[in-house]
Amino acid sequence: MATPDAPPTPATHPSADDVPIDKSTPDAEPPPELPENARARRYVILSFWLVVVLLGLPLWWKTTSIYRAPLPLRDMQSWADGRACRAEFPLLVEVEAPELSDPEHLIKSAQHALDDANDFSAHHLRLRLASPKLTDSTGNNAEENVAATLKLLPGPARSSHSYQLSNVSREIELFYSPSYNPSSSASSASLSLFVANTLQEIFAEEQQMISHLLSTSTPAPSSASGDSTSGSSKVNHAEIARKMSRILRYSPTYHLTFSLFTGSGTPTSWEIEDAIDEYLQPLLGALSGISNFTIDSQIQFYASPSDNVVPEWQPDGEPAEGEPQRGKWVLKKQDLSSFINSAEWPLASITSYPTINFIIYVPADELTPLSISGSATNAFLLPQWGGVKILNLPVEKIDGERKTHLTREDLKSSLDTFAGQLMSLLGAPAHPSSLPIRLDSLTRQRSAELLTSASSTLGSLYRLTLALPSISIPTSVSTAVSSTLESLQNACQELKQGRVGGEGGALAEGRNAAAQAERAFFEKSMVGQVYFPEEHKVAVYLPLMGPVGVPLVMSAVKELANFIKGWKASRVAKA
Amino acid sequence: MRLRPWLNSLLLLFLTTTVCAYVYKDYDENLLLKTLPNNAVLASFRFVTNGTYTNHHSLFPRSLAQILSHSNTRELHLKFTMGRWDAESWGAQPFNGQTAGGTGVELWAWVEAVDGPTADKRWTTLTNALSGLFCASLNFIDGTRTIRPVMSFTPDGDHEDMDRLHLLHGSLPREPVCTENLTPFLKLLPCKGKVGISSLLDGHKLFDAQWQSMSIDVRPVCTAPDSCVLQLTQTVDMVLDVERSLQRRDYPVPRPRPREELNCDPNKPYGADGSPCFPRSNIADLPWSISEVFGRPLHSYCPLASEPAEHVCLDVPQERPIYITRDSIEVRHPDGRRCYTLPPAGDFDIILPQQSPALPITPFPEPPLYASRSFTGHGQEHGGVKAVIKNPHPTRPVEFVYLESLPWFMKPYLHTLKTTIYPAPPATGDADLESPVTALYYRPAIDRSRGTHLEASLLLPANSTLILTYDFEKAILRYTEYPPDANRGFDIAPAVITVLKHSPSPQHTLPYTISGAPIQQGHGRVAIRTTSLLLSLPTPDFSMPYNVIILTSTVMALAFGSVFNLLVRRFVGADEVAGKKKFGTVVEKIREKVRRLKGKRKTE
Repeated sequence: MATPDAPPTPATHPSADDVPIDKSTPDAEPPPELPENARARRYVILSFWLVVVLLGLPLWWKTTSIYRAPLPLRDMQSWADGRACRAEFPLLVEVEAPELSDPEHLIKSAQHALDDANDFSAHHLRLRLASPKLTDSTGNNAEENVAATLKLLPGPARSSHSYQLSNVSREIELFYSPSYNPSSSASSASLSLFVANTLQEIFAEEQQMISHLLSTSTPAPSSASGDSTSGSSKVNHAEIARKMSRILRYSPTYHLTFSLFTGSGTPTSWEIEDAIDEYLQPLLGALSGISNFTIDSQIQFYASPSDNVVPEWQPDGEPAEGEPQRGKWVLKKQDLSSFINSAEWPLASITSYPTINFIIYVPADELTPLSISGSATNAFLLPQWGGVKILNLPVEKIDGERKTHLTREDLKSSLDTFAGQLMSLLGAPAHPSSLPIRLDSLTRQRSAELLTSASSTLGSLYRLTLALPSISIPTSVSTAVSSTLESLQNACQELKQGRVGGEGGALAEGRNAAAQAERAFFEKSMVGQVYFPEEHKVAVYLPLMGPVGVPLVMSAVKELANFIKGWKASRVAKA
Repeated sequence: MRLRPWLNSLLLLFLTTTVCAYVYKDYDENLLLKTLPNNAVLASFRFVTNGTYTNHHSLFPRSLAQILSHSNTRELHLKFTMGRWDAESWGAQPFNGQTAGGTGVELWAWVEAVDGPTADKRWTTLTNALSGLFCASLNFIDGTRTIRPVMSFTPDGDHEDMDRLHLLHGSLPREPVCTENLTPFLKLLPCKGKVGISSLLDGHKLFDAQWQSMSIDVRPVCTAPDSCVLQLTQTVDMVLDVERSLQRRDYPVPRPRPREELNCDPNKPYGADGSPCFPRSNIADLPWSISEVFGRPLHSYCPLASEPAEHVCLDVPQERPIYITRDSIEVRHPDGRRCYTLPPAGDFDIILPQQSPALPITPFPEPPLYASRSFTGHGQEHGGVKAVIKNPHPTRPVEFVYLESLPWFMKPYLHTLKTTIYPAPPATGDADLESPVTALYYRPAIDRSRGTHLEASLLLPANSTLILTYDFEKAILRYTEYPPDANRGFDIAPAVITVLKHSPSPQHTLPYTISGAPIQQGHGRVAIRTTSLLLSLPTPDFSMPYNVIILTSTVMALAFGSVFNLLVRRFVGADEVAGKKKFGTVVEKIREKVRRLKGKRKTE
């Protein structure tokens, strides 16, 4: 700082009087400042900057930073890409051949045939000769679940190989031709080939479903997806995709709503409670290992389908003399998609889990009989939603009125239809006829689905955290993610060992993984910050940062320039 | 709660009803039309459905039953009301005011729970679920709008375990009731508004009424200790202005009537030509029919409803002729009602021709109390509430409960609560005895978590007026707590006045024969509600936060800049610079330029 008692400026130029006034002339310059003043000023500027950098910036950083819990990003990505776990579905088939002399050989060659034909390595069948001790008991090995038991029995005379599947057990009875001769290689090969083909046929649908699931949900092309299109098993991708699109998302509990919609005021009552108990409860009991069900029912009167559904009248031939025209009302296929009048029919439930609706629609008198073109059961299935059955009530002979009460027997056909629809809505394969095998397939399929959905949710979370750096990640998300990863790991292990259902099985682990992954993804506190736009920050910071920053920066620049100038000058002087 | 198989209850119903020789079903519907003074018509629809708590429903709506069981609600009352009941000219509200609520939406329920917090949780479940079902903002009934009334409400149903039941009450005075609430209401009916008297319910006419109220009441009814049904009563009460309805028919878009069509009172001095017209009332009973006032005729009848099928009743002066559709049968009741059976198919209509001069119409009997409430005071900081309650009866004193549920930002001072009675009762010298307040329940508000709950039990002597006043302070809300359009003000829920032990006059019990159990809503209590109030709070300038940021930033930047400049800038004395003066160089320059210009001119 200049002081009043500073020495007067030494005049470097002779005189200022005889030159014209010019600002640029050095004689207008103030006296040069003392070095200690310049140093003091430098220190002042430096200390300001030090305060800004050492105190201001960290403080600002600390107060405005968003908490982001560390996430195992690499693991998440590898799961999402399907690299972390190669899901395997080994199926153990026990072979019982009490009357064959050399079953090992047959099994070996059948296994060869199976392995040759199998193009989807993740899902493979393994044959094993049943040890007599174990078959005496339940047939289920304590360590490994047996997918099916193959019983080789001699067939009736002069018959070729054939097999029979029981509806209620996992037992496949295979009758080999009596001409089978174990010593002849041709005969042996034909039987082993037949065994292999039989097993493949039984598990073909499940295999297709699982391969479809694994191939569509993982972005990375797995070895299976490429091959299965050209595979020998009649894979119809469109068909599988259609089947898959019907299936409801997996949930540990489903709510079933049975509704009777009538076009008029009748019928007024139905024995639905008894009918469900008798016709549907056995199936629901069998499914309880996979999902539980809650049930309710309702009757809604004066319910009409959507306005744009117009059935067409189709007369049956020529009307007889004196008799009313006979015929039926026909719903076309395109009408079915808009048949449900969601604006007026009270079908919503307040349960937290998904609802499956089953509707019996009794048309009003003027629309009876109503039928669906090309449908034998007069019913249709709405993908991921439920089923509808149209029930035409016959006119009762006594008074010409229609029935006002639906008995249990009246409802049997409808509930049978609904049972079938429920199975396909849940994703159970339509074949084979054995219910236990179908349920096992469903369990495996649901595990695969849970695994892929949990993995893809992890992938979405991974992408979300990378795409939005401004969202906070609370600790709960990180714990949920690690729990998901653990469950996924366990599920993968369990699958490899063939333990799917039951406590601690792949299904239970997958269920936990999916639930945790959802919880991590839909964490509420993560979303709030996203809606605070970045522009607002500029509006908040600029009024302070602008006026404060400009003098700071300008003085620093000026001082730096002076310093460089001085340094250069000193170098020149030295030189 | 007892969950009975529903066949059981049916059987018992049959047993009890065979005595009456009626075939009762689990559903009944009735419509009463009553002419009121000034060409108004009260239409009162009532639908009663019986059901059970099981998961299998036939007539009882599944959606509602599911909500009730999910939230453990044992008794539910939900009211949607709009408009003002003109007690001075129409008399007391029908059904002792039990079917109507305060302006907007009012909800109260008995929820079964072990303790208060559990009850609160279930109440939240209930309000959220009902909000979805009825397309209303019921989910905004949170802790600040919920109270637990002590004296005003009693359960209508038969409950076993009253200790476990928690009464919760919430209201939304600002909620506009409209068609989107009527549609779900109709969906709950078995006949869905397609046949029967519900076919008359049309949003355009219902919400055009001078006063209308939709209510949903669910209560358990036990005819014997072992047989209980869940009874759902849905009512729609509306007061239609016949003149307005007919005008709407002629001119769908409202517009002023031509002068020659106006009925001016010639006796008034200012009724002359060209000057304002004083309308003459009651010159004639206007002609009307069901299809005119409701916009459509009544379609067929609901076959699910119980017999006998006298579903429509009219309460009009005996002398007035009535024309009805051919297939219908008229039944005259001794109390002056005329009831009609509905034709099995086709439309039903009632036509009342013009009646001139007007017949004297008996309105509803005088209500036990007249009540009004208003704000007093001025300014943005304080205010006052004044409720005027009048007992018109010449001899009978009235005991009643006054209930106020105030939002937390309206903070009453309880010490300013004053009651004055006109004419003043004879002084006894004892202030406690003189005070009409016999009991007082007050629960102060907690900011942002609980509203004020004020309940006072009062005794009003015959033929006198009570003025109840208190002052309050207006709170200042946080920036984000203001609703959109904050300058409109905040609605304050109507006060609920419950008259205890009111002996109903015969006309109060309207003719309804419902299967199951007789209607005894409110146990002979009469509910009267005041209108809602509009409270204006000090509203800030909503760009304030940015203004504050900019202002403080500017001040800080100024301070920083000057300090920084003082520290960094080098100051040099003016005399220290050799040569020309630093100051005045600009002046010098200008002078120089002027000189040059002058010189140029001279050379030219």
